[in-house]
Amino acid sequence: MEDLKELKKIEKFADQCMKCGFCSFFCPVYQEEKVETAVARGKNYLVRQMIQGDQKFTPEMADIIGKCLLCKRCAANCPAKTQIDRVVVGARAQLVKEKGLGFVKNFAFRKVMANRKAFGRYVKLAKTFQFMMPKTEGKIRHLPDFLKGLGQGRNIPEIADKFLRDRVKRVNKPQSGPAKMKVGFFSGCAMDFVYPELGLKIIDVLTKHGCEVIVPEEQSCCGAAIYFSGDFETGRMLAEENIKAFKDVDYIVTGCGTCSSTLKDYQKYLTDTEDQQKRYEAFEKKIKDSTEFLIDILKINPSDFKLKKEFEGKTATWHDPCHLIRYQNIKEQPRAILKALKGLKYVEMPNADLCCGMGGSFSVYHYDLTKKIAAKKMDGIKATGADIVVTACPGCMINLIDNVLQNKMPQKVHHFLELVE
Amino acid sequence: MMKEAVLDKLKKIVGNENVLTTPEVLKAYSYDGTTSWQHEPEVVVFPTTTEQVSDILKLANAEKIPVTPRGGGTNVSGGSVPWLGGIVLVTTKMNQIVKIDKENLSATVEAGVVLQDLTMKLAKDGLFFPPDPQSFLGATMGGIIAENAGGPACVKYGVTKQYILGIEAVLPSGDIINLGGRTLKNVVGYDLLHILISSEGTLGVITKAELKLRPMPPARKTIMAVYADIAVAGENVYRVLENGVIPNKIELLDNWVINRIEEMMPMGLPKDADAVLLFECDGILETVDKEVEKIAEIAKKYGATDVRIAKDQAEADKYWMARKAGFAAVFGKAPTVLSEDVTVPRGNIPALIKKVKEIAKKHNVESCCLGHAGDGNLHPSVLTDKKNEELYSRAIKAIDEIIESAVELGGVLSGEHGIGLEKQKFFNKVTNPAVVDLMKGIKALFDPNNIMNPGKIWD
Repeated sequence: MEDLKELKKIEKFADQCMKCGFCSFFCPVYQEEKVETAVARGKNYLVRQMIQGDQKFTPEMADIIGKCLLCKRCAANCPAKTQIDRVVVGARAQLVKEKGLGFVKNFAFRKVMANRKAFGRYVKLAKTFQFMMPKTEGKIRHLPDFLKGLGQGRNIPEIADKFLRDRVKRVNKPQSGPAKMKVGFFSGCAMDFVYPELGLKIIDVLTKHGCEVIVPEEQSCCGAAIYFSGDFETGRMLAEENIKAFKDVDYIVTGCGTCSSTLKDYQKYLTDTEDQQKRYEAFEKKIKDSTEFLIDILKINPSDFKLKKEFEGKTATWHDPCHLIRYQNIKEQPRAILKALKGLKYVEMPNADLCCGMGGSFSVYHYDLTKKIAAKKMDGIKATGADIVVTACPGCMINLIDNVLQNKMPQKVHHFLELVE
Repeated sequence: MMKEAVLDKLKKIVGNENVLTTPEVLKAYSYDGTTSWQHEPEVVVFPTTTEQVSDILKLANAEKIPVTPRGGGTNVSGGSVPWLGGIVLVTTKMNQIVKIDKENLSATVEAGVVLQDLTMKLAKDGLFFPPDPQSFLGATMGGIIAENAGGPACVKYGVTKQYILGIEAVLPSGDIINLGGRTLKNVVGYDLLHILISSEGTLGVITKAELKLRPMPPARKTIMAVYADIAVAGENVYRVLENGVIPNKIELLDNWVINRIEEMMPMGLPKDADAVLLFECDGILETVDKEVEKIAEIAKKYGATDVRIAKDQAEADKYWMARKAGFAAVFGKAPTVLSEDVTVPRGNIPALIKKVKEIAKKHNVESCCLGHAGDGNLHPSVLTDKKNEELYSRAIKAIDEIIESAVELGGVLSGEHGIGLEKQKFFNKVTNPAVVDLMKGIKALFDPNNIMNPGKIWD
């Protein structure tokens, strides 16, 4: 077989697997499918076969490598500490190198998502067609029949009237006193196009706590959907753009768990040269997710947060986004705040760390599987009797909202920052 | 290649989606938890009912196609590797917990139920299934029964066969049989139930089982005892037991394993110790307290340099985490690890440990010892690299000698993993020929066409 550069890079991770099969218990996909090719051990074995030249890049192989949420539950519980996420992403990168991206992804990643301005234009265009999608509830719409390829009956949030980029100032001074530090705000797609109020809220909270917040226009997409699909070339381009856009700040804060972990992990997945390694590592040190920043960097006492009036007397539960709990080890910070909020009752949900089933584009290609995985999440939510499900990743929010509605459950889904004054 | 006509019939039995033949799937069903054995099947089939299993076996028997039953594929003897190709019959989609009977302390489960799923469900009713193989996260009940699996808790509770009241199985003829029953006592004719248990999938396919349960003990406590000499640790195991206390676990970690764990996750284990023993007692709180005191007293009297009683569950969890990590510590340290499953009478544990050290030195290979010392079941391991032929052959020699010396010390080839492919070369050597003939006779009676998991145990 030809050049296996990307696979060679992850060979040592694949070799770590001793085939004990413990991953089967933790893999949300295997738990539904019960077939060995779905689980980390199987994927890992097949990747090793490819490295040895005993397995080719067949369409079936692409399917197998594609059917992973990258939730990292297997890796977190692997006795041999096999980093299966690296194996899967490396295999996808090799696939892209050899077979190309395919027209749809090529267009979506390189022509749309990687070009922030163009992306905005396309989303605006999509917005004008939004009236064709019947409303479910409030700002939630579900996909009409002619779009059922994306998942029949799926509820997706409405695109905002005015994007965050058009509503935000480049420099936001602290609300009182001199600036403690200069913080870059990374908006990410969801907060830009779908939840702009949330973006404004984060900036408000940060400036309230003495930060000067910079929102560079030049920032781009974090690259999660792009480089996790194996498009390292575009991924590196985005990494360079984001590093440049945020070169003058002390920290970079985002309210999206996926964005924060993706930005932190450029150094892990994308590096090819020592120079890249060094620069991506330096960039990683600046990235903080919202709750992590508030508790660990600003060192705000959890009991200093005030609950917004509309949530008084409610019961809340926390959903751990995979990109927070396993990619960044952020588990206690949000819980500490939720538990300390006066007027709110906190209940821990069973399997709080179970993936909601979204997995970015995974849910587009495998919507039925997404629903089955989400059903288990819904069972956990139901068991708490909570009024609200709190999380800190718009991706999870979108999927949780869809499934709460589909299951006719009373719970409302909120970003953590919506709860506090 | 399997004949199209056979594949079509299989599809008719279980549905198209449950018959897989792509090269990728065949590769993914070519292995189990062992390092050295791989072989691809020709088709992978997922039945969902006992009747489907029966139809598959009838077809395979008529066509004389080998059938290898497989659950989670976590076994470490090569037992579920389809050595002669044919059909891999996977039970993972037969995974219903049919009934939990609190009144009779029993449960009915399908073969593909994963032990940890069962454990979690039982805990809600204050019950538990005592056998606890370390593969509990992936192992299925069918496999656990077919391999008569063990685990740390065997020292007090015994192995799987003591917790199976009855099974439903399908013979190669397609006949569905029920052995044993739902009662604690059962003396009706020959005890065929126990021939099926530990048959390693060579006599039929276990499809359902009636399990014996126990109420969950309300209290448990953990002790770590430290030793300057591993042989003294080994001796401590039987000293504790002969002095009247039966803990539910006694686990051993040697100096090498302790240090690898500390490298991986520093938790303050005694790095200078030649070995540590971890004891756990469970039962009524007052009894557990007394037992723990007694163990501490005996351990000190017979040479432990330090005894720590875990002050709370968090400290206990830390020690057991270390024991679990031991597994990873060993396997993560070399490209290939050969881990043994020999079991000796408890009194010979110190002698076996000494022997392992001598053998490793003689063949110049790195070795370590950890395992379920409480029941004499040790997992001496040799670190090697399959790709380095010279090193690998030295390791194989060392492992062979370790097994032989365990047998010389009155032990057995396997405590809990079975013979499968891994131990075949020793099986004939250490088993009385008349016994081998009896076993082969039984096999021929159950499976005249030799379709059930052929190539295992004695071939």
